[in-house]
Amino acid sequence: MVMEDSEAPHHLLLLRNFMSQGVLHRQPLLYASPAHSPRAFLGTLPAPIPPRTHLHTPSQQQEEDLRIAWQYKKYFGNEQMFVESHRGNHWDFCNEFDLRKSLDRQLLGAAHIDCVNLQDVEDLASLRDRCSAFLAPFARTEEGITCVGRVAIQSFCSPQCRYSNSDWDMLFFIKSLRSMLRSSNAVAMITFTPSVVSSSSVCMRWQHLADTLLSLRTIPDDDKEMAKLLTDYQDMFGLLHIHKVGRLNSQVPVILEATTYSLKVIRRKTLVLERLNQAPVDASGGGSLGGCSGSSSARLLDF
Amino acid sequence: MADLVCRGLRDGVLEGEYAPALLIKDTLQISLGVHVFNHFLLSLSSNISSGKAQSRGLVVVAFACPPCFYVDLLRSRGIGVASLSNWIRIVDCYSDPLGWKDKLLNSGFSAQLSSKSHDKSSVGDVECLFRDVGDAEKLSSLVFDLGRGLVGPGKGRFSVAIDSASELLRHTSLLSVSSLINNLRSHDQVASLFWLLHSDLHEPRAILSLEYLSSMVAGLEPIASPSTDAQRNHHNHLFQLEQNSRRGKLHMRLKRRNGRVKILFEEFDVEQGGIKFVPVSLGNAIRNDAILPKVQFNLQLTDKERGDRAKVILPFEHQGNGEDIKIYDGRGPIADAPKNIFPTPRLDESASATITTSSNGGKGEIHYFRDSDEEALDTDEDPDDDLDI
Repeated sequence: MVMEDSEAPHHLLLLRNFMSQGVLHRQPLLYASPAHSPRAFLGTLPAPIPPRTHLHTPSQQQEEDLRIAWQYKKYFGNEQMFVESHRGNHWDFCNEFDLRKSLDRQLLGAAHIDCVNLQDVEDLASLRDRCSAFLAPFARTEEGITCVGRVAIQSFCSPQCRYSNSDWDMLFFIKSLRSMLRSSNAVAMITFTPSVVSSSSVCMRWQHLADTLLSLRTIPDDDKEMAKLLTDYQDMFGLLHIHKVGRLNSQVPVILEATTYSLKVIRRKTLVLERLNQAPVDASGGGSLGGCSGSSSARLLDF
Repeated sequence: MADLVCRGLRDGVLEGEYAPALLIKDTLQISLGVHVFNHFLLSLSSNISSGKAQSRGLVVVAFACPPCFYVDLLRSRGIGVASLSNWIRIVDCYSDPLGWKDKLLNSGFSAQLSSKSHDKSSVGDVECLFRDVGDAEKLSSLVFDLGRGLVGPGKGRFSVAIDSASELLRHTSLLSVSSLINNLRSHDQVASLFWLLHSDLHEPRAILSLEYLSSMVAGLEPIASPSTDAQRNHHNHLFQLEQNSRRGKLHMRLKRRNGRVKILFEEFDVEQGGIKFVPVSLGNAIRNDAILPKVQFNLQLTDKERGDRAKVILPFEHQGNGEDIKIYDGRGPIADAPKNIFPTPRLDESASATITTSSNGGKGEIHYFRDSDEEALDTDEDPDDDLDI
């Protein structure tokens, strides 16, 4: 569950990475959005950055796999793609995406993506049925995990959706989606804006329903105070705060080193989450606004 | 700055994005929202009529003032008077928003109403009467039709101004208003839109939803905060009322494309000729502490820092430059004492004699000289050892 900030579209970046990863690993995807044409969003999914050459898989084998992949793609349809994924994936687990390039059209076309326009949804029961129909093939069986499904719901409580007044229905939908996910091999990512949810108790319940809860904050532009406090103020454009991390089968909690990360896009290419670094307070009263890296020099330290 | 907002409205929308939307909100304390709205309306109108704006037409949905008010306002500033009907349309939701007069007429009630309803001012083709404010979809389709009529069916764009969204919210639900604004923003031919809202008339959720849908929010605030002292209250109250009837502070939050929020403060003064904005450099009323957590210092070193650290000369470590190591321990030159390569370990103080280790051929010697009696005792020494009680 991702809590958006009503003033920034950062949740879209996270959603894009999530969906792109799903498409790459050939996991069926259900995408729901309040926009007029959800399909248009698919065109903005980022392409993966090809893994660097010094990977553990030898390149020869990769060549072979690629050849097999190409041949299968040529002769068989969608279903065979799943079989091929057992043989050695075309893409290893990919976590980095290039935001400047969009995902290959062929991959998108071959992928199994369902789009739902949330504005057309009259009531949530129909959406629930749609989700359960989508998740039915991924039911947990004894054989193990063959395929994983992904559900991405963007801005679930947008004020222009018809069901947005009925808070309890929305909570019930999330609860039933969660129970469906527990019994199937699937993950879901839902973003919502806490400020437009009508009451704080509903918002609290919403947050408790999440396994993993993240929240996004914007930062003010051209803020000199903040530029003095943080070293990388120029590069970052938002903050990500991790409230809780899901641990379903373990009693050991996750203790994170840092719960707040800054969102940065490096060279306009990759989205990077970095720990916040505070600039040390300059005790000598120097006037520079730079961070700790700016003040290092090769002079002798004198005591 | 208000100029920034005006420019945002003038420049309009980029292909594939949602149109910029400005929300102006005021309160009972500082109810000058109408003046600010008129200011933005006039600036956008002058840009449109002189051709500088992306949009080529303007549709005004008038709830709080009659259409003739806007026409007179534009005329008084001399904006595009000659060709008003070419670029502006005003939807009249002021005269008969719910169609009551019409219904009364039809049911054959009074004759005096009939004369008023047919009283059209001279700007007949600019304004368009709308009688069914409760139906937001009809209103939006009317707005689209008028706009398309103004700019033609092709790629031309028009802007929309809603006089008072508070009136609209009174007649319809938040859901319909939200979907109306969303549809306007996502429409291919809308360049920009702005609307006024009186924020104390609505629930916080409605205000927050509309703020969520807009890309620029301009909030009016009183200059002086109300005093809490009861005794001076009356005097201050009058003074503040007088102040707030003319001056105020504008707090703008603009959502930028890079995801950051630009926050600006300006003071404005309503005068006879219009409204004047003065930028104010605020001593950071925005508190960043709420956003930032207590962060840690950067404990990792960059490569440059590592190199610099290696270059630092420390006084108590060997320089490694080939010379014999001399460890200066506070006494005079130790040329006569045998050279010690390793730092002297502290031995028991009774062992002031030298200990020669015969195992390594007499080469290594350990000398321990206790410097003075005032020195701090070793940890294994007990000062009460030489007490005999």
